[in-house]
Amino acid sequence: MALTLTCPVCGKRNGYEFRYGGEDKGPRPAEKGLTPRSWCDYVHMNKCVAGIQKEWWYHKDGCGSWFTTHRDTVRNLEVNEPEAPK
Amino acid sequence: MVLNFSEQGTPMLGLAKKRIWKYNFMKSSYDAVIIGGGLHGLATAYYLAKEHGMNDVAILEKRFIGFGGAGRNTAIVRANQRTQYNVPLYKEALDLWPVLTRELDFNLMFNNCGNLNLLHSEAAMKTARMNISTAQFHGVESHLLDAKQTKEMEPALNISEDMTYPIHGAMYHPPGGVVRHDAVVWGLAKGATKLGVHIHQQTEATAIHTENGKISGVSTSGGRINTPRVLVSAGGYSAGIIFRMLGVKLPISVLTIQAMVTQPLKPLFNHVVSSGAYHAYANQTLKGEIATGAHMDPWPNYTTQTTAYYIKHQAEALSEFLPCLRGVKFMRIWGGLADMTPDMAPIMDGNDPVEGFYMDCGWGYFGFKSCSVVGKYMAEFMAEGNCPGILKPFHLRRCEQHRLMGETAALVNYSPDN
Repeated sequence: MALTLTCPVCGKRNGYEFRYGGEDKGPRPAEKGLTPRSWCDYVHMNKCVAGIQKEWWYHKDGCGSWFTTHRDTVRNLEVNEPEAPK
Repeated sequence: MVLNFSEQGTPMLGLAKKRIWKYNFMKSSYDAVIIGGGLHGLATAYYLAKEHGMNDVAILEKRFIGFGGAGRNTAIVRANQRTQYNVPLYKEALDLWPVLTRELDFNLMFNNCGNLNLLHSEAAMKTARMNISTAQFHGVESHLLDAKQTKEMEPALNISEDMTYPIHGAMYHPPGGVVRHDAVVWGLAKGATKLGVHIHQQTEATAIHTENGKISGVSTSGGRINTPRVLVSAGGYSAGIIFRMLGVKLPISVLTIQAMVTQPLKPLFNHVVSSGAYHAYANQTLKGEIATGAHMDPWPNYTTQTTAYYIKHQAEALSEFLPCLRGVKFMRIWGGLADMTPDMAPIMDGNDPVEGFYMDCGWGYFGFKSCSVVGKYMAEFMAEGNCPGILKPFHLRRCEQHRLMGETAALVNYSPDN
């Protein structure tokens, strides 16, 4: 089953129109106090979650938007944002 | 019904087949536990028992041995990589196939038919010259061929200008070829269990336990095991397991890689032919099928889904550089996991950040061709506690030290990292 993703501008489109932009790791770390390890953590290191993760995508063959969405890596399907645990 | 994995084996097609490797019940403690019953885990266990006298070893396999990458790869072996760290490792891996065939008393069907890497531009020819120099420096046979010589080697190739990426030449690597991947699984399982290693199938590791910065045990779906040493060598699942159980993040993205075979044909070509520009490789198996790969959907996922997108890509690529395959039908297609690192080199490390914890992952699509040599040296690492020199460059900290390896010449535009 092929992946489809929801672009905030163009709506639901074929996954091959997009470029994956990595796991969402929060804001870029501040320059002040940045160590090689913390920079490496931001740039290279992944959690490789088997389940739902928040991630970046770029609509390369479309409007050019960067956006985040949630996807279940076990089913390879875009999903709604999971509710925060109470 | 309770499945009985006794030595009598399970009935199959009405015949009681005797399994070639020994089943044992799980003990409450082992000298070493290996998570992942793939080729790297099996080979490490085999060498631990054979070379280091450590035969009190358990392999934990969530499904069954040979289910993952061990049975999904396209069985190609070669030693024509790019960097001075990788080439000696893969050279020794190649040299080990005949040795293992003898030692295990099991025919691994090593067919060193040679590899032809097609080159489609002058820039690619230049890169190949550099790779060939590296190979020759390390004693690995590798030559540059022009288009005419390539055609003489493999007459089925199209060397006309009338294709998207005309062939300028090839990098010819005679000692590479194919090894029967299932035979390696069975041979190593037989060899390892004969030396006392326990293989526990359908047994999932659920937690890794530490005490005072040292490994103390593993929880499994079959009970708790006490052990001072744990190796995670679970192929594409390794990075997820290591983060979930120890909180250690790795520079890895897990992608699905696909491969397929055509209907069987009469003998047609004799080498493993690969093309970076078309992003396709192909070889004719001993059964006559054309085995070909290897597309990756460039986003992480843990499925083994196959795609129409890829079938189309592969048909287009193959019918250009091997036009005689036009009209041939694909018979089977399958997917497996490839754990990609930013520098296309694996991560083999140990005792960091936990004493007694070892990892062997990030192999991407090089896990099969490396399993023999990695088993040998990871076993030495685990038994002696010191990292053997040949594995040292592959440590985890190379990313934060800005010492990524230059193996990316092997990479086409197929990873989230480039």
